Amino acid sequence: MKRALRLTAVGWVFHVKGLTMSGFFVVTTTFLPLVLATTASYMARAGQRQGTLLYVSLGAGVMGIWSSTLFGSGGAIQWQRWQGTLELIVAAPARFVLVILPLTLATATVGIYSLASTLIWGWLVFGVPFHLVHPFLFVLAVPAAVLGLGLLGLVLASTFVLYRYANALSNMLEFPVLFVTGLLVPVALLPGWAQPVSWVLAPTWGMNAIRQAALGGSPLDDLAMTLLLGACYLVLGSVLLENFARLARDRATLALT
Amino acid sequence: MTTMRLVFVGGGISYRALFNWIHPAMYVPTMLLGPIFQILFFVYLGRYNGLQSDSFFVVGNAVQMSGMAGVFASTMSIANERQFGTLAPLLATPAARLPIFVGRMLPVAANGLVVSAFGFCIGSLLLGFRPPLSSIPALALVVVVSVFSCTAFGFTLGSFGMRARDVFLISNLAYYVMWLFCGVNVPLSALPGWMATIGRGLPFTHGIAAARALAVGASLGSVSGQVLKELAIGSVYLIVAFGLFRAFEVEGRRRASLETY
Amino acid sequence: MAVVEAEGLARTYRTSTGVFRRRTLEVEAVRGVTFEIAEGELFGLLGPNGAGKTTTIKMLITLLLPTSGTARVLGYDVARQPREVRRRIGYAFGGDRGLYERLSALDNLRYFAELYGVEPREQRRRIDFVLDLVGLAGRERERVEGYSRGMRQRLHIARGLLHDPPVVFLDEPTIGVDPVGARDLRATIASLVEAGKTVLLTTHYMFEADALCDRIAVIAQGRIVAEGTPADLKRTVADLTVVEIEAFGASEHVIQRLRGVEGVASVAVEEQEQAQLIRVQAASGLELTQPLLRELDGARVGRVAVREPTLEDAYVALVTVE
Repeated sequence: MKRALRLTAVGWVFHVKGLTMSGFFVVTTTFLPLVLATTASYMARAGQRQGTLLYVSLGAGVMGIWSSTLFGSGGAIQWQRWQGTLELIVAAPARFVLVILPLTLATATVGIYSLASTLIWGWLVFGVPFHLVHPFLFVLAVPAAVLGLGLLGLVLASTFVLYRYANALSNMLEFPVLFVTGLLVPVALLPGWAQPVSWVLAPTWGMNAIRQAALGGSPLDDLAMTLLLGACYLVLGSVLLENFARLARDRATLALT
Repeated sequence: MTTMRLVFVGGGISYRALFNWIHPAMYVPTMLLGPIFQILFFVYLGRYNGLQSDSFFVVGNAVQMSGMAGVFASTMSIANERQFGTLAPLLATPAARLPIFVGRMLPVAANGLVVSAFGFCIGSLLLGFRPPLSSIPALALVVVVSVFSCTAFGFTLGSFGMRARDVFLISNLAYYVMWLFCGVNVPLSALPGWMATIGRGLPFTHGIAAARALAVGASLGSVSGQVLKELAIGSVYLIVAFGLFRAFEVEGRRRASLETY
Repeated sequence: MAVVEAEGLARTYRTSTGVFRRRTLEVEAVRGVTFEIAEGELFGLLGPNGAGKTTTIKMLITLLLPTSGTARVLGYDVARQPREVRRRIGYAFGGDRGLYERLSALDNLRYFAELYGVEPREQRRRIDFVLDLVGLAGRERERVEGYSRGMRQRLHIARGLLHDPPVVFLDEPTIGVDPVGARDLRATIASLVEAGKTVLLTTHYMFEADALCDRIAVIAQGRIVAEGTPADLKRTVADLTVVEIEAFGASEHVIQRLRGVEGVASVAVEEQEQAQLIRVQAASGLELTQPLLRELDGARVGRVAVREPTLEDAYVALVTVE
């Protein structure tokens, strides 16, 4: 157990460093939330909604964390494929989930750059006041959201191992999750089918927690829900990873790009 | 005769070779399913903010969706040659460069049209987008011109793929920037002056404005100015793109950079 | 008229290193290479890695512009008339890359047939012909991504021959191909010349060069250091004998001592699996086996052989910089 934790921690630091140094990754995952924040802010200003623009900044920022997780996890697996190292990882003695978990956690962590830059951007360009109602809870909510998203990334990564067209999934899931988890449009206003889906996605609860910590409300039960879902993803992800790795070996798709 | 074959047969084969998302398992999620949610998202965001009609957002996003092909597929058409190491063999052949170039653009543009058409259908099915029937031919024309314009723009970016390694960074940034600057979800009038100015030099801007007017019943004549501007912008990008392609080829031979990857 | 003429061909690469303090390095890869290839000749270009072989060929096939000097293929200048040159030459560089992975071999060939302007009516016939020639017939519908190294190698060669060019440039064509397949490929290359084509070949396999080439140029450090028929080149080392010693655990110090033995021209060591193969070139007529073995005292010695020099010895003598 201790070794597992150590492997996770070491892997996490390793990947955070690696991702931070990838200019391509950081720029593309930070840029999208900025554009989204700008677009949504203009729309909010032009519209009749009375809410604060901080709502928009936060929503776009969490979108950035999701973007980072999605493209980081999918991209990492795909990158391993292209380099021919996916086979090597699977063949290594360490449990596969312990190799992938630090990676997905790292991708979610690096998403914090997005959150920070979106907030700063909002403040610089739109004069969004960065005033937190519950600052301490905010500081708790953000890592909780990161954890929840990182573990959702783990579930995703498992499908990427099996499915050689993982990039398609990464490309496809950006907007759906943005839409369904109510990052910028409240879930209550979404079509009926979206609501149950939103309940099983950690970003929904994580966003609520962050939002309530910043804008007022009680974020604690949302925080708890985020972590609970995260734990479920961990179990699901582990099971899927082992099985999908085995299937991929069976179908001889590990070496294919 | 060979020129035609080079354009159509050659263009088709190279598209299959280089377009990363050609397999249906890649194509459908990336180019069709994902963008459905893009349209849904912005329409709902618009409703939430109590803004313009749904039609505004459907038109903007349905046209912009073709940019996935116009920007990314174009970049792939050229930059992926480096990845496979086939740029040198390609340039070692005696084939004329213009037919090669045009041949690569055609499938990309066709792809963009398919995506846009799909977007409009989704808008119609899920969001009740109903332009007047008489406007549909004109609308189609405007979309064709916009797709051409974006494809030419995409190939301008893609030509840098002959020289620079991380050209996908540029194309990603360009794709996102176009979201904001081209009036896809925010009218140019609401943007700061400098953004609108840049937007007017990018593809889609004029086409989207024209398409929006057509969708609410304007005549083709009244938007002809916008359409012509879009066409002109596309033509300029086309010339620049091909010029860059040739210039980088010559430079590649001089700097021995054709095979660096 | 010579089919390929290079005159004072030179190429310098300019590279920059460093992010903050950019330093520009100039590497003279080819420093003035002059040679001619006559029609129907199989010409070999030999040299160690980094000698400038690939750079020279790339200039000849119009992928690189020379920094000075000229080259002509079939009378056309490679720098100023590239398209004319491209129509008349084929080349195969081999390696894992350079093919469209996602497509089948057939599609790869169809595309390049288009690019090389092969008449549509001719395409099917030519494609079948080249596939048969390189031994890939029957496997052309498989995607290249599943091809083994040897198969890729053959596909490169097939592609180079699609448009039936009179001049063919082959860079290490049999590398990565199994011995039986390599023998077939060599026979194919020989048949190209018999059919009247002019071929420039690079290779590291001396026996291949010896068996196939009509003439050879040895290039080292950007210059041609020798040119002639294989027999000519062997003659340059004809007055040498070669003593081959199989040793186990001979240190660098010991090797140095060998070099110091009187009459020794050069010592080359080849690391093999368990042992080292030490090749000593010395003036013929000298009985050096005893003095050499004395210097090796301390190291275990296996087989000792004294033999006539081969083309490989000539090559080593020419390119080794002491």
